[in-house]
Amino acid sequence: MPEWINVIVRSLTLIVFLFFLVKWLGTKQLSQLNIFETISGIVLGGIAAIHTMDPTTNFGYAIIAMAIWFIVPFGVEKISLKSKAFRDFTEGKSTVFIQDGKIMEDNLKKEGYSTDELLEKLRDNNVYLASDVEFAVLEPSGTLSVLPKRENRPLTAKDLGIKLAPTKEPQTVVMDGKVLLEPLANLSLNTNWLETELDKMNISIENVFLGQVDSDGQLTVDLYDDKIAVAEPVEKPLILATMKKCQADLELFSLSTENSESKEMYERNSKKLQHAIDSITPYLK
Amino acid sequence: MTVGSQVKGCYSSIKSIEAGLGILAHKTQDAESRQAFVNVEQIISQIKNDLQKQVIELSKQEPQYK
Repeated sequence: MPEWINVIVRSLTLIVFLFFLVKWLGTKQLSQLNIFETISGIVLGGIAAIHTMDPTTNFGYAIIAMAIWFIVPFGVEKISLKSKAFRDFTEGKSTVFIQDGKIMEDNLKKEGYSTDELLEKLRDNNVYLASDVEFAVLEPSGTLSVLPKRENRPLTAKDLGIKLAPTKEPQTVVMDGKVLLEPLANLSLNTNWLETELDKMNISIENVFLGQVDSDGQLTVDLYDDKIAVAEPVEKPLILATMKKCQADLELFSLSTENSESKEMYERNSKKLQHAIDSITPYLK
Repeated sequence: MTVGSQVKGCYSSIKSIEAGLGILAHKTQDAESRQAFVNVEQIISQIKNDLQKQVIELSKQEPQYK
């Protein structure tokens, strides 16, 4: 057998073999790999490289070596899923760098971090003043996780006491001008509904590049032709506006009537409606 | 515009709100939102009933504008 055929066969076999080994080892990102996994990855690649290039080596040995370099990290990963102590040993523990706003100099020294490196890591997290940090911890993967002090954290709706309507994930129902039936069915809608909604917006389905439906059943579209303006969904703002108008009307009626019974009825309903508006506003935004 | 027709206009707006909320309650995928829509729909429905009585009352009082 000519040597070049040998090289081709070896290469193809190793590519397939390596592909499955990497697949079984898991789909962690490169930066999330611990030292052990990184090294075994490099060694697997190295073995594969040597044995594809050199036809004189024993191909069986290549398979054995790769199998071992696969089985050991694989086993380690499975055991570390079960045992916390083993995990701490193989993957390393995190180190606290800043606690209660105070820098732990001893821990910095232990991990071999200089003050400059700590500041650099803090800047990575958009923190420029070390005193803004309540707590910071160096993860085993080498990234620094930072918890800023309460007043330096971004303001949330919870802080402001604003009630927000919960939303579910939107579904994509039109892609490249074609209707996707499964997402539509997930929302218990059908193509008839979609056609009606598109008719309301005055556009044909062929012109739709992307169409999505949010959890409240509102359709938003992007068209191929960017010159055509698409109407924003108005259903919910319209309801809210009508409610406000009716509330104002009722108040007006209660002021203008002289019949005390009607006056009382208008007032009561106006209050009821105001209460309804307050409670539904977050959902109609 | 007579008082009767003004109240009638408000009454039909209330009906439209009730229907709109009903549609939203059916369309939404989120249980909490649905509950909120249903609750408000009930309040609106009570207001609607009150207004309906008032519309009838006013049409009796203003028969000349019928």
